[in-house]
Amino acid sequence: MIRPHFFTLTLAVISVGAAAPGKIEFNRDVRPILSENCFACHGFDPKHREADLRLDTFEGATEDRDGAHGIVPGDLSKSDAWQRIISEDKDEVMPPPKSHKPPLTAKQRETLKAWIEQGAKYEAHWAFIPPQKHPGGGIDHFIQKRLAEENLKPSPEADPATLIRRLFLDLTGLPPSPSDLSELSDWSDKKYSALVDRLLSSKHHGERWGRWWLDQARYADSNGYSIDAPRQIWKFRDWVIDALNADMPFDRFTIEQLAGDLLPKATESQKIATGFHRNTQINQEGGIDKEQFRIDSVFDRVATTGSVWLGLTIGCAQCHDHKFDPIAHKEYYQMFAFLNNQDEPELKVYDPKVDVKALAADFKDVESRLKAMVKERYAEVTEWEKGMAKGFREKLTAPVKKALAKPVAKRSLADNLELYSVFVPRNDPLYILNDRFKELDTQLNKGTTTLVMKELPQPRKTTVFIKGDFTRPDVEVQPGTPAVLHPFETTAKQPNRLDLAKWIMSPENPLTARVIVNRVWQQYFGRGIVETENDFGSQGTLPSHPELLDWLATEFMAKKWSLKELHKLIVTSKTYRQSSANRPDLIEKDPQNYLLARQTRLRLDAEVVRDVCLTASGLLSPKLGGPPVYPPIPDGVMGQGQVKRVWSVSKGADKYRRGLYTFVYRASPPPSLTVFDAPEGFNSCTRRIRSNTPLQALTLMNDSGFFEFATALEKVIEKDGLEAAFKRCTSREPKPDELAVLKKLDRLNAARTLLNLDETVTRE
Amino acid sequence: MALGSLMARDAALAPKRTHFQAKAKNVIFLFMAGGPSQLELFEHKPLLTKLNGKPIPESYTKGKRFAFMDSSHRSDLLGPKIGFKQHGQSGAWVSDYLPHTAKIVDDISIVTTCKTELFNHAPAKMYMNTGSGLFGRPSIGAWVTYGLGSECDDLPGFVVLQSGPRGPRGGAVLWGSGVLPTTYQGVPLRNQGDPIVNLSTPKEISAAQQRQVVDAVRELNMKRLVETGDQEISTRINAYEMAFRMQTSAPELMDTSGESQATLDLYGIKDPKEISFARNCLLARRLVERGVRFVQLYDTNWDHHGGPTENLETHLPQKSRDVDQASAALVKDLKQRGLLDDTIVIWGGEFGRTPMGEVRESTGRNHHIDAFTMWFAGGGFKPGTTYGQTDEFGFGAVENPVHVHDIHATILHQLGIDHERLTFRSQGLDFRLTGVDPARVVKDVLV
Repeated sequence: MIRPHFFTLTLAVISVGAAAPGKIEFNRDVRPILSENCFACHGFDPKHREADLRLDTFEGATEDRDGAHGIVPGDLSKSDAWQRIISEDKDEVMPPPKSHKPPLTAKQRETLKAWIEQGAKYEAHWAFIPPQKHPGGGIDHFIQKRLAEENLKPSPEADPATLIRRLFLDLTGLPPSPSDLSELSDWSDKKYSALVDRLLSSKHHGERWGRWWLDQARYADSNGYSIDAPRQIWKFRDWVIDALNADMPFDRFTIEQLAGDLLPKATESQKIATGFHRNTQINQEGGIDKEQFRIDSVFDRVATTGSVWLGLTIGCAQCHDHKFDPIAHKEYYQMFAFLNNQDEPELKVYDPKVDVKALAADFKDVESRLKAMVKERYAEVTEWEKGMAKGFREKLTAPVKKALAKPVAKRSLADNLELYSVFVPRNDPLYILNDRFKELDTQLNKGTTTLVMKELPQPRKTTVFIKGDFTRPDVEVQPGTPAVLHPFETTAKQPNRLDLAKWIMSPENPLTARVIVNRVWQQYFGRGIVETENDFGSQGTLPSHPELLDWLATEFMAKKWSLKELHKLIVTSKTYRQSSANRPDLIEKDPQNYLLARQTRLRLDAEVVRDVCLTASGLLSPKLGGPPVYPPIPDGVMGQGQVKRVWSVSKGADKYRRGLYTFVYRASPPPSLTVFDAPEGFNSCTRRIRSNTPLQALTLMNDSGFFEFATALEKVIEKDGLEAAFKRCTSREPKPDELAVLKKLDRLNAARTLLNLDETVTRE
Repeated sequence: MALGSLMARDAALAPKRTHFQAKAKNVIFLFMAGGPSQLELFEHKPLLTKLNGKPIPESYTKGKRFAFMDSSHRSDLLGPKIGFKQHGQSGAWVSDYLPHTAKIVDDISIVTTCKTELFNHAPAKMYMNTGSGLFGRPSIGAWVTYGLGSECDDLPGFVVLQSGPRGPRGGAVLWGSGVLPTTYQGVPLRNQGDPIVNLSTPKEISAAQQRQVVDAVRELNMKRLVETGDQEISTRINAYEMAFRMQTSAPELMDTSGESQATLDLYGIKDPKEISFARNCLLARRLVERGVRFVQLYDTNWDHHGGPTENLETHLPQKSRDVDQASAALVKDLKQRGLLDDTIVIWGGEFGRTPMGEVRESTGRNHHIDAFTMWFAGGGFKPGTTYGQTDEFGFGAVENPVHVHDIHATILHQLGIDHERLTFRSQGLDFRLTGVDPARVVKDVLV
């Protein structure tokens, strides 16, 4: 119960570094032991350093401290640290019992012993050394080299139908159509690679991988916290989709999102891109200190920048020096300074994608409901006017005063809404309907808006906050980057976000290329080469295939940061094309599939579960982009948060749009998505957990949306037969015994069964 | 591959071993969302009444931050308009707003010096539930289910019930699983429609047909399991079985027609079909009886600032009536059924309220984080205790402050968990409910 299963398994089944007895390598063999057991008290953070001893550097470990030495290279008897590790005295032994760390294992001790005997050589942390070109090359070379070392053979290529479905789901998030599956008989490498090219240029590719990026951007459609009012920032979502479809090089992709507004002659599109860091939440609760929550959103931006691009837990240094990695408390606030100088405006954008007709109908409907409500409840206004305390009238805003000045009969709907908004509580139906009215009004009559960043003419003063508490400012700091990474160079007097973005995309940066290729790899195999995809620091796990990681990172940069080239490299490899079926020898030697002697079966992402069922039943509306939509959701869901929001179900084709277009209220997210682990956008999500729960079963069996898909699939059975329906769900022909099971059911329940199959919601 | 070797029990929710001998197995957390006023309910402060309308000495408020500092926040003391008496053998002070709670004081531990860090509702609710105001941290119910597993195989291990005019501020994040797998997140049981989202079979489908579908899905999934050797399929097969059982067990849970009139009267339930805090208390007992690990009840609208719908004169007494009898009944009912020894009952909100009054349309008090009252019963908490001492206005603790992290550490301790050892590794850190600063188990309130 103490550790999650995947973590213990990493260590138990194959020690990732696989130390050969003999030559000790610090990063592979020693650092993990020291980081886990020693650095919290003998590491980078001087405030929590015990006995003034640090073991994270050679200088610190070997320093003469009144004749005593933590480590004396080559001499175990004089190495105090070693003597304390092997001590049998409870008050002496390290790590101390009160740390709750188990004593070092015999194997760990042996490693440390050999390391000290061999001279206690230190190495810089692997991730801070730029990726190297290693001899050989190619994904399969590195994977198979390692398999050979473990006496394992790769798996054969998966059959064509599985491969086609795998490619469709991985590259576009949609299953193949029956005609896409028609060329199985003369399957060839040439056809495979033509299909890869075709899918990479599909407009749905940007949707599939856009969602991957939106997770990291913590995208959602509301402000969060308690009030959780709707917001418009879907133009940012569409910008991501478009950018990925156009294969915008990842360096430009980064710079535009972090600092598009600061580029010379910034275009509208480049400004929209800066929505990345506007996906933080906004607290609209009464009685708040606005500065506190503005600073909270900057904290979020620093942490998100750190984990998304650097794979570092920079956020840990918000309150103190980092305990495991060399990031100082002060350096955290130097990063903070880059992100502390923004105004946070809305940008008006007129959008050609909006369906004006549907919007107008919706607007008219809400308007008339609102009018009726105002009329019916007008006594409230009169009463409020009468009961107004002395002096209260003067404090009102100009539009309210103006409305009050008019006789009741002359007041417009807008006037009346101004009045109501003064006194009705925020959870009043009228207030909520008015929110929706305003939203539609903006979309229809005032154009679309989107949240963007804008630099302040005068930068804010940034200080260190003691313990991360904004009421306790300490010394002032200037923008800067952690000293452990590549140097920050600029000629600007006041460096800004653009300088930060350029620093991140510098070819000298050892981290970003590795972090991104790792996160792409993770989508294809269920796990990154570095399993801790958001922590490449010393507490993270070591890469299972370090040379492969470096090779991919250098290729990514050499191919001008092209994500599509990276996708192509991976999906055309033999490693990717293997069968995912498990084997008795692998169950024994590598049950978690770290070594990739096979592919991995992966349950589909939440949105794709929906997309696959929609496609199989023939209902999918393939429309790209535009405002979020409102497919049916179960009754009562919108009452989970403080304010019960209106959810007027989309009409027509918008009911059947892909999952990534569903409106997400952070405080009451759509259950059919969250139940399959879609993030709510509270903070950056760099890896989705894949749970497997009874609530998922209830959703696929009973949710009204999925039931509707089943009724549509029933019609497919009626028209084209059971085999065709089976193939729409799984992309393969059913076997006779499978058909026999389904034939026992009526058509509707056969359709429901098909949509509930593990195989239907899995990429094999 | 052989099927037998491939079918595994879902390990994530299997009951797990504790760090040490547990005193309690289950938790029921009665959450008064909005911040109930300790000064109208539990804290007897005669000087507050005496100095009503006088400014609070500046020494108390200097350097402090409050909600609504720029508008309605006031510095004049406000005396309560309700009487207090001592009750029971223990002589605990309880106000006349809570006559039923007054009768169980010898069964509960009252802590008057609870202390939190954040003074706005949503962040403070997150703090009380997750030990942090930052997003992404697991709630206490998720931690407990992760640490102990579930002892119920036809209901979720962590269940949330709601009453009051709206959902609690913060919403789903309050019972979320944060960095833990979603398997551990709280499942809201709803009082209207399906008790669990998507629980009932579509109306076009009969129960027999549903069973046929579950069977067919199992049969086909088994074939695929043999074909692929993927353990996840075996987990999914189990999940479908549990889902099917839940379809029967959840409605059965919600159907209180088997409860005696005496029990309904004890809780003060007039109409068993009507949504109320009282009915939720009864459901909480039924959940615990069925082995559900963590039950959390939210009752909203305890934010008595003095606004049109939330003031101290009429609305606080009304809210008190809504919860008083049922809270006390829950403790009595658990006790008479022998369940109280195994079950911790917690009563409280995200913070308390200021000794200073707030004047809006009528009278109220502002949010206050330095000292507020919660009570605990059962599960090895010491009955008949009042713990902690606040100053003469009830502004801050003068002795024995109990931080939210201390409360969490104490609850985990009673469940047999060392709060420093219940961790989950994410982003290179071993996350824990009680954070990095030392937290203490409040041994003085334990038997």
